[in-house]
Amino acid sequence: MVVYSFYIFDRHGKNPIFIAITQLTVSSGMHLQTPLATAPGLHLRSTDDDSKLVFGTVFSLRNMVRKLGGDDDRALLSFVSFTTSQYKLHYYETPTNTKFVMLTDLKSPSMRIALQQIYINLFVEYVVKNPLSPTEHTGGVGVNNELFEQSLEQFVL
Amino acid sequence: MAAPPRHSTMLSISNGGTPQSGPNDKQTQQQAQTLPQSPGLRVPSNRKTIYDRHLNRSRNAELSRASFAYLFGEMVTYAQRRVTGIQDLEKRLNEQGYPLGLRLLDLLFYRSTSTSSSALSSSSTSSSPPNRPLRIITLLHLIHGPLWRLLFGRSADALEHSVSPDTPNEYMITDNDPLVNTYISVPREMSMLNCAAFVAGIIEGVCDGCGFETKVSAHNQPTEMWPSRTVFLVRFGDSVMEREKVLERSGVK
Amino acid sequence: MSANKTSRIGEETRVDKVNAELVTLTYGTIVAQLCQDYDSDYQEVNKQLDKMGYNIGMRLIEDFLAKSGVGRCANFKETADMIAKVGFKIFLNVTPTVTNWASDNNQFSLIFEDNPLADFVELPDDGRAQDELWFSNILCGVLRGSLEMVQMQIEAHFVSDVLRGDETTEMRVSLVRYIEDEMPPEEE
Repeated sequence: MVVYSFYIFDRHGKNPIFIAITQLTVSSGMHLQTPLATAPGLHLRSTDDDSKLVFGTVFSLRNMVRKLGGDDDRALLSFVSFTTSQYKLHYYETPTNTKFVMLTDLKSPSMRIALQQIYINLFVEYVVKNPLSPTEHTGGVGVNNELFEQSLEQFVL
Repeated sequence: MAAPPRHSTMLSISNGGTPQSGPNDKQTQQQAQTLPQSPGLRVPSNRKTIYDRHLNRSRNAELSRASFAYLFGEMVTYAQRRVTGIQDLEKRLNEQGYPLGLRLLDLLFYRSTSTSSSALSSSSTSSSPPNRPLRIITLLHLIHGPLWRLLFGRSADALEHSVSPDTPNEYMITDNDPLVNTYISVPREMSMLNCAAFVAGIIEGVCDGCGFETKVSAHNQPTEMWPSRTVFLVRFGDSVMEREKVLERSGVK
Repeated sequence: MSANKTSRIGEETRVDKVNAELVTLTYGTIVAQLCQDYDSDYQEVNKQLDKMGYNIGMRLIEDFLAKSGVGRCANFKETADMIAKVGFKIFLNVTPTVTNWASDNNQFSLIFEDNPLADFVELPDDGRAQDELWFSNILCGVLRGSLEMVQMQIEAHFVSDVLRGDETTEMRVSLVRYIEDEMPPEEE
């Protein structure tokens, strides 16, 4: 399985609070914050533009899913992933509107549980509980947190 | 601004002290404690006051570790807003831990006498109920063992004496994985910061409460296996070292 | 969700523990420090405690959701139950009673039988603290912060406290409104 990129958006969504874009395989190791993607034919360019695009897309999709499916929990949880000919986008959203998005290759199994685990075991433990991390990541203040990055690296590999 | 007197934080809440009058010696505080029902305070008719509860009620009680993390986190954040640098921040955290040390000392003594032996056995050298430690080593054992167990549910990981002949007054207490730092990821530009300065303050309070003038600081000493390993450097004052010599000669343990 | 099921989540959610007295005393030093910093201006201390609580709430809710695994509440009644039986149970190991509902179901009270934050506390006998200081005011902020994160704007304040000589400790919680999702930035 190859992970192309990974984003976390907070409830304000304007800027991602965490981005990792890389071509990452078990053998190559993960280099977080490395702006590089080499999936064939897939253009992940400047992180800023892409993340806006990614956010806009998941935001619209999730709203559509909710509108059509009813505004209850099941609808909230029903947008799991979508697939194009080049990549698969996995989505997980918490009731606080924190959104986890991961782009992988097509062979990847469902990453829903993995995203949930990243939220529960890594994000909450290392970012949310860290008093030196800001409570609200407004203005694109990133997560910049070594413990989180290290454990994410271990987790994804 | 002049540094506030150390004991004043204690008095402002819960010991019946009056913060306005600003008494900062222990004498006044003792008196306040022996007058449990200050006439001016209203109490509920069902008598839900601290005097109607057993002091051991919360002895083995547990609470969520996250709750502690959040409170401690806010303490750090709040302190951060009022300081200029890392040293200043550590000083403030130390000051906040200090009154805790004084209180915990009382609690430790109270509990060790009421349960006769076990809790303080390492520090009591006679068969009588344990008293205030008189010698440095007894005091340090009290901190390393019972105090750590009360706070963190386990003993500290090491207790050492400085090997340098120049600094016989320095001792080190090591905690391989301090609870207070569990959720703290210090950014690179603040790599010197160790929020366990709060715990250093607690130690200082305990020492001071026993009559040992001390400065305690927390230092990062990471190892491969223990990335947040912290050494608490305990530096006793000259008066303590002199007294220690006298006690040594007269055979006090 | 049934009330029973809610209590069961509160009972069964596993959390890492720490000595309760460490929490109680740490909170005590926070309040004491504020009283000192604000020169016993208790109104200001209340405000600061509420602010701290708000910051905590915004973080704590993530932990709450992650640990308990519960989803969105269907209505405010369910929210109240969730706060009392799961939230307070997990984080303070107490279960306040939910009562005194307003007729529009947008306002209720939490009555605290026990309050670990105040376990060793007696307010200063200065003739003012008992009238002005809400010792546990941080809890109001926690509710405000955490509910805002799940799209509810609420108002919370204490109306009585045994530390003030009242018979009970009661917090009043009112729903102000449900918050709409924030829209994404404009596309160029």
